[in-house]
Amino acid sequence: MIYEPVIGIEVHCELKTKTKMFSPAKVNFGDAPNTNVNAIDLAYPGIMPLINKKAIEYAIAASHVLNMKIDRDLWFDRKNYFYSDLPKGFQITQDKRPIGSQGYLMVKLPNNDEKRVNITRLHMEEDTAKQIHYNDYTLIDYNRCGTPLIEIVTDAGIRSVEEAVAYIDKLKSTLAFIGVSDAKMEEGSIRCDINISLREKGTKVFGTKVEVKNLNSLNNVALALNYEIERQSKLLDNGEKVAQETRRFDELTKQTVTLRSKVDAVDYKYFTEPNILPIHLEEELISKVIDSIPELPESRKQRYLKEYNLSDYDASLLLQSREFSDYFEKCNNLCKQPKLVANWLLVDMSSYMNKENLNITNVNIDYQRLAELITLISENKISSKQAKEVFEIMKTEDKTPNEIVKEKNMIQVSDEGLIISLIDEVLNENPQTIEQYKSGRTNVLGFLVGQVIKKSKGQANPGMVSKILNQKLNS
Amino acid sequence: MSYLDKTIIEINKALKEGKTTPKELFEQSIERAKKYQNKYNSFVTITDKYEEKEYNFNNKLAGIPCAIKDNFSTKGIRTTGSSNILDNYVPVFDATAVKKLKENQINIVGKTVLDELAMGGTGTTGYTGVVKNPYDITRQAGGSSGGSAAAVASGIVPFALGSDTGDSVRKPASLCGLVGFKPTWGRISRFGLFPFAPSLDHVAYFTRSVEDSAVILESLAGQDYNDYTSSNKKVEKYYENLNKDLKGKKLVVIKEIIDSVYDNKVIACFNKSLDELEKCGAVIEYQSVDEKLLKAIYPTYMVISCAEATSNNANLDGIKFGNRQDGASIDEVMFNTRTKGFGEFIKRRFVLGSYALAKQNQEKLFLRAQKVRRLIVEKVNDLLKEYDAIVLPASGDVAPRFDSQSEKLSDNYLIAENHLAIANFAGLPSITIPMGKKEGLPIGINITGRLFDEQTTLNIAYALESKLGYKNMMGGNK
Repeated sequence: MIYEPVIGIEVHCELKTKTKMFSPAKVNFGDAPNTNVNAIDLAYPGIMPLINKKAIEYAIAASHVLNMKIDRDLWFDRKNYFYSDLPKGFQITQDKRPIGSQGYLMVKLPNNDEKRVNITRLHMEEDTAKQIHYNDYTLIDYNRCGTPLIEIVTDAGIRSVEEAVAYIDKLKSTLAFIGVSDAKMEEGSIRCDINISLREKGTKVFGTKVEVKNLNSLNNVALALNYEIERQSKLLDNGEKVAQETRRFDELTKQTVTLRSKVDAVDYKYFTEPNILPIHLEEELISKVIDSIPELPESRKQRYLKEYNLSDYDASLLLQSREFSDYFEKCNNLCKQPKLVANWLLVDMSSYMNKENLNITNVNIDYQRLAELITLISENKISSKQAKEVFEIMKTEDKTPNEIVKEKNMIQVSDEGLIISLIDEVLNENPQTIEQYKSGRTNVLGFLVGQVIKKSKGQANPGMVSKILNQKLNS
Repeated sequence: MSYLDKTIIEINKALKEGKTTPKELFEQSIERAKKYQNKYNSFVTITDKYEEKEYNFNNKLAGIPCAIKDNFSTKGIRTTGSSNILDNYVPVFDATAVKKLKENQINIVGKTVLDELAMGGTGTTGYTGVVKNPYDITRQAGGSSGGSAAAVASGIVPFALGSDTGDSVRKPASLCGLVGFKPTWGRISRFGLFPFAPSLDHVAYFTRSVEDSAVILESLAGQDYNDYTSSNKKVEKYYENLNKDLKGKKLVVIKEIIDSVYDNKVIACFNKSLDELEKCGAVIEYQSVDEKLLKAIYPTYMVISCAEATSNNANLDGIKFGNRQDGASIDEVMFNTRTKGFGEFIKRRFVLGSYALAKQNQEKLFLRAQKVRRLIVEKVNDLLKEYDAIVLPASGDVAPRFDSQSEKLSDNYLIAENHLAIANFAGLPSITIPMGKKEGLPIGINITGRLFDEQTTLNIAYALESKLGYKNMMGGNK
């Protein structure tokens, strides 16, 4: 029988705030265990939650880029259950009224089709502590405990593994691009739980769904889903029932294994958090947040193609990250030479960064200096050959291009009279080369240009030299 | 004679005049605390470490000894909540109320016994033993702030901090002849108070005069960054603005509540109080409230408070702190810790709370209780649109004997002994003061005012106190 997968995805995303959701303890991935912890995180008796305003702003921003309705009143609820990674014995979350609802994300599939993935809700909550289980003991790291999270839930409208992977990838890059999250699956700042069931293609009834938890890479998402599709297909083909359960993906065997049955699901006994009165979101705050969201990649790309006439390939490369694209834009704003900026960034700068293992946020050549260099080129003050020399020096010396040009006496000669007299000298000294040129060996032009530039001690504008030489030889 | 037998205002005068010193007061207080401990069992911990400091007696609280209910977090001082599960718990921070008292140079002499984790009204369920009433040790001091009440009523301290979720300060105040006050919800920060039911919990306290109560409020009230629900309303000069003139004030008595009080002496004292209030210029009227609503107060309170309590106390699992018990797995550690750590009464409440919140019951129990709470609050706020305050007997009778059985389904129990919770439902300022005695045992009257109108509430109590003369009452024999 041919089956169609029915997939819904829950994504937990850690927000990139400086402090925790309900406590002033620091949030910083990778710090020594239990160093970013205070009395609130450990749920000492008498503690009360504080509200992280930045987390709310990030949730508003995320809701906005996911085209969601934003609730003007924030309500928080308690989700009650006993677990050693949950110090309070309850998690503060948003159950009845998520901050964001009824949104969607347009996703590009490998075959270039566009898919609309509906997002039913986005809510805020706090992360649990991290547990490391050993044979006869368990260690708990409370650093993660209380980190602000948003949970983003799609409807069951995803129909293939490709769609699922493309959605998560797009969601990840969007959240990272607007700066609300590092969105790194490998560091756990993005975690996915996926619901999947199968049904006979063409039918409308949903099958029994299985939840696969804690998938920590796109590759594992694909592996787990493919495994589930195969596993469930076999069961159905054999006339067996799919059990409603929670499974986890085992990285060693590349299989999903039963974690627990859904039949004895926990009753979380939700109720409104009594220590947080409903928070009204002023329109002013919401518009301030929305106004500060950076222009998204799609829109930037259109601009790069249409306004700057860049190639699709170059535009995509410039949009490899928000920081890279921002560098490009800031640089271009100063020198107004999009093509030159794109070339320098994607060729010289990129190879330099690769070689030195740098990235656009820590590279020692800032956008102002690159713009200065490009301006020197575009105003014909230095040749592109000279520019490469300047760039080499900029890598190691803390000097502006203008300083370097001045020091090296690198001013490009664009004085037409001077160039003509140099050309005349060279032509007089090389009559046989002129003969060769006239007899059809036009490639000797390069030699002549080189001679002129040499005579100018490298300062003659090569473009002008070549243009004037051409005119003279063809007159 | 000891200045401990005086009110804060009087002690402050003596301190200013050099007739006594904070050290002397502290030492006498500790001495009494130790001497009476076997008799009344007020304390879980007596803190006999005195630190000399530079006092400023322009602050009326400077150098005053006080006791703190053992459900307020006190940095470096063991805080048990009167529960075995926290037997070894030493907090790392001060509750905001405690911090403020320290800033006002108050000296803490000890942490007082409560009903386990503040869940109870008898003062008998703390894991270190039963609190006894200084007026008669065969009787309850009331609860949950029983230890604080007994400490003030026996003259160990002129003031003690308590907490009030249903009537946990105002009822023991009635049974121990004290002034017991809880201001509006949000007026005093709850940060550091062990939560029982946050939507009902209030920081509250005992004194032996209304003046002292006003002075304390000034030092405790105010917005706190650590308590998101604390109000930013300005803190007033409650003491300076005390005023006995009640001309133009309209007071209301709820008829059905009076009808539920069976004791003639209580009614007689209450009527006398009403007469005195009228003499101060107040107008008194009777109004009806649906008896069904009044009978629903107790079950509504139980459902909401137990539901919140089961969640609030889920942090007590032995993992991070507390009296951890061994187990083969993490689950077993939590299970064993809680099984051994909690007393039977509060386990019962946790079960009740969990039952009310369970998915299949939530609509019928928890959400319905919240609906009833809203109805009661609406009704009371309607009354308070027309009246400045509600005046009622704080209790249906004097302190019960330890062996007495209350008829839990009688009107007397359901209404007369539970109506004080109305002020918790609505978050209203509410004060109990003594209004008389029956066979040597005190009886209290309760005044409940409008939201954030602590001043009027205090003024009515102040006027009545001066007419009745039941000020600075103490039990026992010093």
